[in-house]
Amino acid sequence: MKQRYTITAIAENKPGVLYRIADLLLRRKINIESLTVSEIEHKGMSRFTIVVDAERDLVEKIGKQLYRIIEMTKVIESTDDELVPREIALIKVTAKTKEKREEIEQLVRLSKGRIIHIDKNYLVAEITGDEKEIDKLDELLQPFGIKEIVRSGRIAVFK
Amino acid sequence: MKISGSQAVLESLLQENVEVIFGYPGGAIMPVYDALYDYTNDGRIKHVLVRHEQGAGHAAEGYGRMTGNPGVCLVTSGPGATNLVTAIADAMMDSVPMVCISGQVHSGVIGTDAFQEADVIGITAPVTKWNYQITKASEIPEVMAKAFHIARTGRPGPVLIDITKDAQFEMMDFSYPEDISLQSYQPTTEPHQRQIEIAARYLNNAERPLILVGQGVQIAKAQKELQAFLEKGDFPAAFTLHGLSALHSGHPLHVGFLGMHGNYAPNMLSNKADAVLAIGMRFDDRVTGRLSDYLNDATVIHIDIDPAELNKNVPADVPIVADAKIALQSLTKAIRKNTHTNWIREFKKLYEVEKKQVIDGVTHPKTGEITMAEAVTLLSELTKGEAVVVSDVGQHQMVTARYYRFSRPNSWISSGGMGTMGFGLPAAMGAKFARPDQEVISISGDGGIQMNIQEFTTLAQEQLPVKVIILNNGFLGMVRQWQQLFFEKRYSMVNIQSPDFVTVAKGCGLEADRVVARIDLKKALQKMLDHNGPYVLEIKVEQEENVFPMIPTGSSVDEVRLA
Ligand SMILES: Cc1ncc(C[n+]2csc(CCOP(=O)(O)OP(=O)(O)O)c2C)c(N)n1
Repeated sequence: MKQRYTITAIAENKPGVLYRIADLLLRRKINIESLTVSEIEHKGMSRFTIVVDAERDLVEKIGKQLYRIIEMTKVIESTDDELVPREIALIKVTAKTKEKREEIEQLVRLSKGRIIHIDKNYLVAEITGDEKEIDKLDELLQPFGIKEIVRSGRIAVFK
Repeated sequence: MKISGSQAVLESLLQENVEVIFGYPGGAIMPVYDALYDYTNDGRIKHVLVRHEQGAGHAAEGYGRMTGNPGVCLVTSGPGATNLVTAIADAMMDSVPMVCISGQVHSGVIGTDAFQEADVIGITAPVTKWNYQITKASEIPEVMAKAFHIARTGRPGPVLIDITKDAQFEMMDFSYPEDISLQSYQPTTEPHQRQIEIAARYLNNAERPLILVGQGVQIAKAQKELQAFLEKGDFPAAFTLHGLSALHSGHPLHVGFLGMHGNYAPNMLSNKADAVLAIGMRFDDRVTGRLSDYLNDATVIHIDIDPAELNKNVPADVPIVADAKIALQSLTKAIRKNTHTNWIREFKKLYEVEKKQVIDGVTHPKTGEITMAEAVTLLSELTKGEAVVVSDVGQHQMVTARYYRFSRPNSWISSGGMGTMGFGLPAAMGAKFARPDQEVISISGDGGIQMNIQEFTTLAQEQLPVKVIILNNGFLGMVRQWQQLFFEKRYSMVNIQSPDFVTVAKGCGLEADRVVARIDLKKALQKMLDHNGPYVLEIKVEQEENVFPMIPTGSSVDEVRLA
């Protein structure tokens, strides 16, 4: 049964690692839902947070194969209930009248987001949260006309 | 004292005790070749000029397989590097230590589609254990040390270092790292003692134990440990293609070759075993046949240095991550002395069935054309199984694996995982550089030899005494066999014309001969063996000989066919 897994991979920050990770997933025909990379608390190390939708068995095999990458130090496969996940989204929404503007601002505020840019024709809202919270705001703003939405992909720490 | 990046490359090779490199020059690697001029002149390094970079790669593989130390290739950018890719992929599949050095265009023009620029790092990433592009001379010593360390330790494999032309020219201070320790890369070699005890308990209690031996045993140089282990437990052992020479073919516990064209007994009896210990083998689909019906009645113990191999194809009840040598030593201590006379007798019985129905007929035919099996059997007798034998890919490969009786450890080289035609001749060349004291014989088909036949001239130039046998059946035999058995004998594009091999060999400067009749075979082989220098012997063999037994693709191992 396919399920959402988050693979957390910690590797030395050297060229080529991302290429090899992507290649490994490609060979097994696993689609990457999101992938974020950044430096972590240990200097010179990067953390890859990879979200995939795949069978458990396959995810475990991939987990072991990732260790074949010379720079890899740690790989952990988790399900959602083992993580505190976060994502950030920027939503650009049409807002041409004062009434709409107020309505949007209120929705964003109630969703624990904030307005980060104002133009005479649109607003830009920022929200951080788990995927569901972001989906929810996205849904609420749809009727106003969304011009652009961009999501960062998941980052997560372990529970 | 400052030296150039190019000199640093060569100094690094000296630090790694590299004696011979296989290569081909070109624009982007010219600074290194220029520096090499001095190193070859005074004999510090031997360079072998191959005729195609693929040949350099396979030669390095042959060298790496024989010694356990990485074979080294030196090639130019673009086409030089891409020509090497097949050999790199071959080395990756068969866990062969190799270090490839490719030139790259000037760092200032990388990414501009400069002349002879290719994204070698991108192209080789999926087929190397590690690769790296050097753009500054100062990086050279450390990266080279790392490359050799990664190539030869853990599960060995190919590594590629791509060096820009400006880094080759740049001046730098050379000092070589004493020893290299990588934070992330720490292969586990010591087995978990608790797992060893569990494994030993299963083996002690088994009535029908079977040991599956792969190349990992030879990579770990654990042949002696294997024999001691088998003899203490009285365990029958079956071998993968690469594992074959890990134990003397005549040893009473050697029950044969596994897999698609392997022996009848180990294939039939795999599924009767109650405990299976697999060492340094990766349950390739050619060995397991249909997975759903494989080893269902056995407790499976799997030893491998690469954790990703455990549970990859066959679930292991007892997975053990370790170096095969250390694991076998621990396991030998942990097991009790035992006998399995009746079980081993079952292998002998099935061997007799195979002998009668398959082996005798092809190894000692009375009429008709010479058979491949008969030529290999005779070669085996004449060399007392003591030669290093290198095969190409096809029917002759399976026939050689089946009928050459290896009597020395690590004396058999073949392209297993990739099955690369054209592998044999250059790999034999590399093996001979590694083992000048031993007889090295390459065996190819008429198809495969033509894929790297240009290396004849390399043999001649080096006067390298490799003996090359061409088993000429006029067909791409292995494909023809499949077409005969599974495609209603529609022989599509397998009828291959060959040049007059004797004339070609002589034209390249080699001694050569051809044998057609059975009564001349022994004399011709003996003449080849007695010849002091490189030699090509073409043997015309039966056109439509088939290799049996055979497990058809998708069948279970015990559905192995004898005809
Ligand atoms: C580079 C490459 N191309 C194609 C194949 C597919 N292939 C496997 S065996 C074989 C036939 C080999 O014929 P030959 O070299 O004459 O040897 P024989 O089987 O007759 O002994 C072919 C074409 C291969 N293994 N490698």
